[in-house]
Amino acid sequence: MAFATELTAVVIDDHPAVRAGVVHWLSCGTPPVTVVAEGEDVRAAWIGEGAQADVVILDLHLDSTTPAMGDLRRLTEAGRRVVVYSMRADDETVLQCLELGALSYLTKAEGAEHLLEAVRTAAADRSYTPPSLAGAMAGDRSERRPALSARETEVLIEWFQSESKDFVAHRLGISPNTVNSHLERIRVKYAQMGREAPTKAALVARAIQDGLIGVSDL
Amino acid sequence: MNETADRVLGGCRIAVLLATAAIQVGLSLARLTDTPGRLAFAALAVVLVVAAWWVLRWKPVPWPVALAGAVVVLAASTVAVWTLPTDRLFGDENWASGLAGWHLLVLLMDRPALAMAALVLQMTLAFVRQFGAELTTRGEIGSVVIVGLSVLTFQAATLALIGVVNRRAGEAAEASAERDRQAHRKALAEEREADQRNRFAGQLGATLPLLAGLADRTLDPRDDEVRRRCALAATQLRRLFAENDDVPDPLLHEVSACVDLAERRGLTVTLAVSGEPAPVPTAVRRALTAPLMTALVAARSHARVSVLRADDEIRVAAITDGEPGVTENGSGAVDVEWHALGERSWMEAKWRSRPN
Repeated sequence: MAFATELTAVVIDDHPAVRAGVVHWLSCGTPPVTVVAEGEDVRAAWIGEGAQADVVILDLHLDSTTPAMGDLRRLTEAGRRVVVYSMRADDETVLQCLELGALSYLTKAEGAEHLLEAVRTAAADRSYTPPSLAGAMAGDRSERRPALSARETEVLIEWFQSESKDFVAHRLGISPNTVNSHLERIRVKYAQMGREAPTKAALVARAIQDGLIGVSDL
Repeated sequence: MNETADRVLGGCRIAVLLATAAIQVGLSLARLTDTPGRLAFAALAVVLVVAAWWVLRWKPVPWPVALAGAVVVLAASTVAVWTLPTDRLFGDENWASGLAGWHLLVLLMDRPALAMAALVLQMTLAFVRQFGAELTTRGEIGSVVIVGLSVLTFQAATLALIGVVNRRAGEAAEASAERDRQAHRKALAEEREADQRNRFAGQLGATLPLLAGLADRTLDPRDDEVRRRCALAATQLRRLFAENDDVPDPLLHEVSACVDLAERRGLTVTLAVSGEPAPVPTAVRRALTAPLMTALVAARSHARVSVLRADDEIRVAAITDGEPGVTENGSGAVDVEWHALGERSWMEAKWRSRPN
């Protein structure tokens, strides 16, 4: 995959140690991601260099017990690509983040590998579904959940259980790439729910471009 | 009133009935002299026979019958006493005034207050007739009152005695019933305890033979297999202790208990949970966690445990770097699958809350 320019990110987290860790992980990735700004609240993503960063890595619990859903909404409405990186939250909060247009949701138990992958795919307007998010979608019992095929549900469950796409592919007798396509298709289905957001529109447009879904599927 | 007391009262009733019949036939029959007396005697005999129909079957005389009978008895005794010529009122010919009270007792024994009132009324009617006759001397008046009152007192005492016996019988029966209830409760509690002990012993799984083996040195703690069995037994115990805890999410509580023990053994375990807590029967929780314990005990260093609760199914899965276990598909309600891929093995226990 060719990236014309280097990827940039802004890290928002109220714990300095977490910010430092994330900066280090991202700088060690291939290709490395440059953190152009960091801060303990969401201002860092709106002013200075942070306003131009490709991806916003947002901690949902900033100094308070209620998740910063308003901040997330304002960012996605402005077309910012947001990866939520949070303590383990309940499934409802996770799915709400997707509805608001976050491109990915990671729990802090999920390490560098998933975070790097999430940032890289988000920069390309694609979604990334880490295992915890797959679990939340597989256990989704809300009325508004999109209709998933049996195979898509199986992929979600196996990915949630194993954390290994090779394993999922082997178990279901498909290729790892097909596993990814299933996950992206599921995310497109979720992107079509709830309120409009530029990031979600971009996600769907990208899926059509990649041939994951046809225009007739919309 | 309970059964025993009823039986005692029934016995008293029969005793008084037989005594009355004996007095009527043995003492009064020979003293009949005139026609009204014979009629009264016959009426009293009929009342006794009618009452015997219930009394001899250990039952009280029904209320309307008893009341009608009492009226007949009072009438008969009045007729017998009032038709006697004055000069015979104080002799053997006046058999009725002493006898009728017993009939009233037979009929009204179950209602002591009413029985007492009827006795007093009957005796009063007799007194009125006797005092209305030409009593002249204080000696005559005295002897009439003494005879009348002694009969009345004897009858009242009988009534009171029956009351006391009856009450005591009731209390005794109550005490014995309470003793029976306590014995029953004790037996139940013992049975429950034994049952729980058995169930617990059943749930102890491999623990008891393992402990026995270690104790008599047929098992060597240095042996890897023995250690594995110890780890499994410890996990089973830990899960069993968690089973009865009162927690909002019992399945997750038990899974966490299994994970906790694996971590103490030095394993790196990640636990992922998704979906809302759902009610799971105890037997199903056991079936879901049993293969998980097997998988965790087999793991060498890493395990990922996941609990997924979707619409109508619950899946407990474990991916470890150990050998896959044997499918223990015992309970039927839970499907257990094992799968190996390279160095890793995958286990999934699945339960559908609404079977197809």
